[in-house]
Amino acid sequence: MKTMRWLSLLLALMMVAAACGGDDDSGTGTDTGTDTETSASGDGGTDSTEAATDDTGDAAGGTTELLTDFGVTDDEIRIGYNAAVTGIFAATVVPIIEATEVYWEWVNDNGGIAGRQVVPVILDNEYDVPKHLENHEIFSGEGPESVVMIGQSSGSPHTAATAQLLVDDDMAAIPLTWYSGWADPEFGANVFEVQATYCVESHNGVSYLAENFGNKIAIISFPGEYGQDGAQGAKLAAEKLGLEIVYDGEGAVVPGSDQTPVITEIVNSGADFVWATINPTTLSEIMGGAVAQGFTGMWSGNAPTYFYELLNSDLAETLDQYYIHSTYVNLWNTTDTPGMTELVEEMRAYRPDAQVSDNYLFGWINGMIVKQILDQAVANGDMTRAGVTQAAREITVDLGGLAPDQTWGGEPNDYIVRETYLYDVDLSKYTPDATVSDDEGGTGFTLIEGPLASDLAQEFDFTGPCFVAE
Amino acid sequence: MDRLRTFNPLSSVSTGVVTLVAVATVLFYLFRAIVEPYVMIQTLAKAIGLGSTYALVALGFVLIFKGTQVVNFAQGALAMVGALFLSFLAADEHIPFTTVRNPLISIGPEWFGWALSVIVALVIAGILGLVLERVVIRPMIGQPLFSVAVITLGLEAILRTAANDAVQTELRPLAIPWGTSGFTLGGETNAGGLTSGGASIAWAYVAAAITAVAAFLAVYFFYRSRMGVAMRAVAFDQEAAMAQGINVGRVFAIAWIAGSILAAIGGIFATQPPIAQTGAVQLETQFIAFRALPAVILGGLDSVQGALVGGLIIGLAEITAGQYLSQYAGTLGSGYPLVVPYLVMIVGLLVRPYGFFGTPEVRRV
Amino acid sequence: MTLSVNKGLSGFARLPGSGRKGATLLGRPNLFTSYERESRIFTSTTQKVVAAVIIVVLFLMPFELPVINQIPIIRFLGDGPYLRPVSTTLVYIVAALGLNLLLGVAGQVSIGHAFFMGAGAYAAAFLGGEATSTVYGHGLPIWIWLPGAGVTAAAIGVLIAPVAVRLRGLYLAIVTLGLVFLGIHMGNMDWGRKFAGDPGLGRDFPSLELALWKGQDPIISTADDGRWLWFDVTKAEKIYLVLLCITLFMVVLAKNIIRSRTGRALQAIRDRDVAAEVMGIPEFKYKVIAFALSSFFAGIGGALLASLVGKLPAIEWDLFLSVEFVAILLIGGLGTISGTVLGAIFVVLGPRLIEEVTKWLESQTEATGPVATVADLIVTDGANDFGPVSTATQSPGWPMSIFSWNVVIYGLLIVVFLIFEPLGLYGIWLNIKSYFKRWPFSY
Repeated sequence: MKTMRWLSLLLALMMVAAACGGDDDSGTGTDTGTDTETSASGDGGTDSTEAATDDTGDAAGGTTELLTDFGVTDDEIRIGYNAAVTGIFAATVVPIIEATEVYWEWVNDNGGIAGRQVVPVILDNEYDVPKHLENHEIFSGEGPESVVMIGQSSGSPHTAATAQLLVDDDMAAIPLTWYSGWADPEFGANVFEVQATYCVESHNGVSYLAENFGNKIAIISFPGEYGQDGAQGAKLAAEKLGLEIVYDGEGAVVPGSDQTPVITEIVNSGADFVWATINPTTLSEIMGGAVAQGFTGMWSGNAPTYFYELLNSDLAETLDQYYIHSTYVNLWNTTDTPGMTELVEEMRAYRPDAQVSDNYLFGWINGMIVKQILDQAVANGDMTRAGVTQAAREITVDLGGLAPDQTWGGEPNDYIVRETYLYDVDLSKYTPDATVSDDEGGTGFTLIEGPLASDLAQEFDFTGPCFVAE
Repeated sequence: MDRLRTFNPLSSVSTGVVTLVAVATVLFYLFRAIVEPYVMIQTLAKAIGLGSTYALVALGFVLIFKGTQVVNFAQGALAMVGALFLSFLAADEHIPFTTVRNPLISIGPEWFGWALSVIVALVIAGILGLVLERVVIRPMIGQPLFSVAVITLGLEAILRTAANDAVQTELRPLAIPWGTSGFTLGGETNAGGLTSGGASIAWAYVAAAITAVAAFLAVYFFYRSRMGVAMRAVAFDQEAAMAQGINVGRVFAIAWIAGSILAAIGGIFATQPPIAQTGAVQLETQFIAFRALPAVILGGLDSVQGALVGGLIIGLAEITAGQYLSQYAGTLGSGYPLVVPYLVMIVGLLVRPYGFFGTPEVRRV
Repeated sequence: MTLSVNKGLSGFARLPGSGRKGATLLGRPNLFTSYERESRIFTSTTQKVVAAVIIVVLFLMPFELPVINQIPIIRFLGDGPYLRPVSTTLVYIVAALGLNLLLGVAGQVSIGHAFFMGAGAYAAAFLGGEATSTVYGHGLPIWIWLPGAGVTAAAIGVLIAPVAVRLRGLYLAIVTLGLVFLGIHMGNMDWGRKFAGDPGLGRDFPSLELALWKGQDPIISTADDGRWLWFDVTKAEKIYLVLLCITLFMVVLAKNIIRSRTGRALQAIRDRDVAAEVMGIPEFKYKVIAFALSSFFAGIGGALLASLVGKLPAIEWDLFLSVEFVAILLIGGLGTISGTVLGAIFVVLGPRLIEEVTKWLESQTEATGPVATVADLIVTDGANDFGPVSTATQSPGWPMSIFSWNVVIYGLLIVVFLIFEPLGLYGIWLNIKSYFKRWPFSY
């Protein structure tokens, strides 16, 4: 008992030490020692003409000729990552962050940006909205962890809670969600969505499946903006193509509950193919249950529905035969484009023992996008938060073949991404426990078509998020 | 609190309600058997499978509660960790985090090797239970039960995070021999070899039912053994048992070991139909304990036969509602099978406030 | 464990010795000459002075004033990014007061607190939020929606209470757990979405501003920075101050409920309900009152939390939130107001502090000195470095990443803490007080 007392005392002392020590140590804690004016000067503290430095105008690369406010010093540029590295989506988010870190390490080893080292500041939001907001306040503040833009904001309600704050501070954020509402300027003015949305993806997928498998479609999805977005996209596509919706299970799949009703409906519907906007666990349950009862239709769905690790389970054969995976980017080591070669090489160089994952693509692409935005900001001579946001609106990001090029200028209809990729699940290409250094290491995919922009997707008229725009 | 197992004739109303519901269910199933026999058989088989899994998890919970009066909120995490042990032993080439080759995989025929892995995994799970009991629960003897309950909550956070860390990727397969496959009764087989219209029954249902029956028989006979009588004495009145010379510490240890082992078994079955179709451990495996809680309560917190009955009832209710009310899913709200166990539990508690077989508390002035 | 019966819940709130007859500044312990004296909130001048000082410091915390800012804790907490967790703590205190009334004072085990908080939040949204094409809302001002949230939740509590009265102990607890699941399910149903918003995105909640009626300009607004009295305040500081006022009000309310006749009746029921009934306290009536009061606080807490955070879909009001509140009470000390406050501070701010410690550890690996060597031992950056704490983002198995360690340390703290001091923080405080009271005979 006595030792426990001392242990607890020690722990408490350590905490107090960190609390007090943080005020003196510039690398930790949250003191605002860098800010001599109080933040209560009447307006928000992120006016781009406040604080720091020299001439305006030109210079691409000189360390003293840039306008900066927060998040950029003479030595470093800080990018914020408000990411769900613990919690239910950790398995997805952690590899993405890992790849982003590798990207920045690579960039830094090659000189950084404008002579400064890029420092990714990663704060865990625990997939919890209040925590996300707390992190956001740290990022958008003026302390030692303030950043110039937010490279990743995990979660839809979380990003939605910060959408207005981003506009108030004129800061840019890249969300980790493909909900179609972010392109709407009233909803997500400073939220820079990357890749296609669930809605457009559904258009492409349904279009392809209808061409190849028949015209009776069953639609199943989660409730909520992810499920509805995907399901509405599928429904719009089905209507435009004149398909027969034999089962509309929008919002019918609730994670954790018994999926018998859904399985029964699918089996009884006699559909030719199923479009699913759910997650891998429920997919395995529903697909496994339906196929066991003799259902022979083809299955596909929005990208988060499938995860290659499912090939490690008893469902492998079924998935190989009956599932087509739709996604927004090229998958690990499936092409020879310059971007992919670079990615594979650098991941092998910096993390040789890391396990193979397609999620590295998203992280790497994220890094490329942020870098190109920052390069543009440097070219404009303005690396304030507002300046970076402005730069984001100006550029077209070249992703070296990893994913469709990205831009955010003009009307949403001009710039939303309409291309997705379709992969066939291929058990022969799956090597469990492979590391990035294995040449043969794969996640079990064969490219069917991509980048694919169906006629439907090209005609798609963005008037607002899919599931509100009936 | 002292409890007397008195003969407590409950009011005729509540007994009548229970009988009515039971009769109605039987009639309903008979009707369904006539109308659509294969769907009914499939539903019944699935319900038995689910009910058996709930019963196993509930049994673990009840054993711990009966032996030590501790509400173990970490049961779900223990289930996941136990299943993880099996996954390490049965499916990994090497002993975790080392390069030592895993000997269990290569011993004898596949069945044998897997059975050996299961036994070793259960032993490890039991040891984990023992460690938890000695380190965390023992020092809390005599402390308010709420504090102990919150300690199990803290344990749950620790176990869950550690397990999450080990299950870094989403799935960890268990290499179960029968997997998620099953057989079909009746129906027509078409040219492609696929059967439709019959009752498809997964082997997992059968396995779960057999395991549940075996577990309950084992516990039943155990409670008639010398140690079992000692455990019942401790559950009844600790001080008196101590005065009789019973080693209460050993009883606690056995209760937690048994509870952990059953949690692990429950966790293994939680990766199988009808709960999941992957045969692999995921983060969601830990929620089996919350789904089984209504079974524990309905049966009675300290009743072994209550765990079995409660599990079967809850499983039956959930599957029946899922199957036969599916056309009303719109008004009921999707995902309604998730709340059916809790509704049944609440109704059950209204007629029997201490569960069907639980011992009522004697309240003293 | 039979011994635990006697120590039961009755051991907690009845702890004597917190009052002094205040003749001199230090006074004399445990001597009361009238019942009225004993049941005062502040039983001695010392207590009054200390309370006043604490309140003043709390109000002045966000403004970096010379004297107050020297206290490291104040400076630490008063910084911008820390105001939000502190505001969250205040909201949690309000809600925890409710659970304290139910669990600590009335002895009814409930883990359904999240359900009532959610009900209050959505009632507030219904009354005070803006109507859109998918959700209801009336845009009424705060002096309608805040009490309205509490009253709605209380009404639901009254409806639930008759079922709950029949049950005891864990049976009651699991039924309340079922409530939580039912609540989430209802929030996701078609009609529930009109109140709760989209199951994924949630909806907007009314903001903390005081206006006379809907559509009118607010008298007190927390939308922008401004100037109050003679201080410049930012938005976050305004929110903090408003919440502080509300929380203080609710704390006094809760304290007075406990001191009142109702409170004494509830405590009697907690200790021996059959005896209480024999003495003329109707068990049913007071249990219903307990649920109603607890739900009232929960509803207000939920409404404030929703207003503070902004987007809370139905799934957020889940079991883990309920459990957090039970943990707050257990860690702080059941049945006491100060215990509740301390527990909330521990549970909300604890993880933040742990994060700071781990971040500080990480930064120390670059430095030199004895601390740095210890830090280096503990922290590893991957391949061949020794240490259980990993700074790499992906670190399967052992060693664990810093983020995982944060959660594990938090769980460990709870476990160790309760083993060490089952009476919680309040128990520790009492130990400290009695140590000094009995000094030099403190053994």
